[in-house]
Amino acid sequence: MAVSIDTVYQRVLAIANKEQRGYITPQEFNLLANQAQLEVFNSYFYKVSGNSRTDADTVPFDEKNTSEGDIKQFLKEKLAPFTTIAAVVGGTTFPANYMVGSIFANGQEANRLDRNTIDNLNKSSRHAAFRSHPYYAASQTNGEDIEVYVAGTQVTANVSCEVITKPTAVEWDYVVVNGKALYNSGGNTTNFALHESEETPLVYMILELAGIVINKPGLAQAAGQKSTNILTEQKQ
Amino acid sequence: MGLNLPNNNDSLYYVANGDHGQYAFVYIQDVIDAFVASYIGPGKICEGVLVEDAGYWAQRGMQELSYDTLHSHKAHEYIVPPSLTMFLPRDFVNYVKFTWSDSKGVEHTILPARVTSNPTDIGYDATTDAYSFTGNVLDTDETSDTLTNYSTINTTNASDDYDWSDPLHELNRGQRYGMDPEFSNVNGTFHIDYKTGKVHFSSNLNGMTVVIKYISDGLNNTDHDTNGPAIHKFAEEALMKYIVYNCLAARAATPPHLLAGFKKELFAEKRKAKLRLSNFKLEEFAQILRGKSKQIKH
Repeated sequence: MAVSIDTVYQRVLAIANKEQRGYITPQEFNLLANQAQLEVFNSYFYKVSGNSRTDADTVPFDEKNTSEGDIKQFLKEKLAPFTTIAAVVGGTTFPANYMVGSIFANGQEANRLDRNTIDNLNKSSRHAAFRSHPYYAASQTNGEDIEVYVAGTQVTANVSCEVITKPTAVEWDYVVVNGKALYNSGGNTTNFALHESEETPLVYMILELAGIVINKPGLAQAAGQKSTNILTEQKQ
Repeated sequence: MGLNLPNNNDSLYYVANGDHGQYAFVYIQDVIDAFVASYIGPGKICEGVLVEDAGYWAQRGMQELSYDTLHSHKAHEYIVPPSLTMFLPRDFVNYVKFTWSDSKGVEHTILPARVTSNPTDIGYDATTDAYSFTGNVLDTDETSDTLTNYSTINTTNASDDYDWSDPLHELNRGQRYGMDPEFSNVNGTFHIDYKTGKVHFSSNLNGMTVVIKYISDGLNNTDHDTNGPAIHKFAEEALMKYIVYNCLAARAATPPHLLAGFKKELFAEKRKAKLRLSNFKLEEFAQILRGKSKQIKH
């Protein structure tokens, strides 16, 4: 479910116009909305790789194993609309992508290991003697992205990966009636493709950027503080 | 429906090539798969452990248990050739005992020859006080004079001159006063040359049927079928604990108290497996002691 761009715009205007702090034109809003959407989207990757809340000893086991308590799972859900599975060409080269997620070989998710660990594993016949899970490392060959191994042998077929694409650019389309820009729900209007829960962060992020654009430091500061608060809450 | 019963049904089992006795064993691959499913994963004790590491420790566990806990099922039978040497079995790790079997099939223990060995006979001529080389490499002879001389000692032929049902060591119980029983028995001797992988027998065993009972490391156990090595179910939990303990021991951040706990569990499981596999039956035990004229209750 996408976030309505009109809802975001109206909220941004409502907050920005309070006490006559300023007006954000549709053109400015469209620019800032795309910037905000990308910032929110990119932050997912840092959270996925950096958030260790599910692994920490302080998190109760029950909470780790429920979807609402699992932040990584939540982030995966947020990324799901942008994720598709595609074949890795020759088992080594990624298809066109914005980001790549998990790697799969023969239907199993591969572990990413460092090159030396893989070399050590591949040299040990004992480690390859029984059923093995796939593992991979960055390729050492120009033009290739990865090398995937199963039981000490490089795999070149049945290798696939999660391809994550960038969200499409948003646009608040409008028609001018009596000198006023009115929302055009048809036309070129494109809503935010992000998860619905991102509506509030988007509003504050756009306001923060707008405060800079229209030179209202107070607005930028207040919105920035709100954004920081939301981020802090998500990390707790 | 039974879990993992050998063969698909009774009619396939109760035939000549059924997997007879297989139900007492569990395949190592199955143990590893169960370990991975039970112990590795988010929130589990071996979180982050590689599946390959689990496989490696399973093999090590199988080896360690084979050496001192599991029963040895391995035995080969030979006729000793005139060269008095035999190759060690392909999966040989160490011997349990060597015996020769007499015409009644009773086995007599052959003791190792401690007083000889088979050193490398290097290319040295004492008369000219010179070494000989092939290329730039010192010449060597696989069979030394020491062992050749020992093998040609005239010894009394191995004897089965007593009733076939007598206990094995009946003739070797110090009947000849003043002699060292190790060197005065009639069963012959053997010497294992680990360098060449050969067993050398004394000359009185020429043409005799010799049995080598040995232990392997359990990794090439294809006694039952070709699905890979298998372990007795009595020792399954011991193997599982061996894998857990070593996976945790190999990790840098394992809390010491956790490691100590699993070390204790491993020890307890190994002891339990050994007790179970020792297969003591009270009635059999009592019957043997009756033969020794012991008064016991049971």
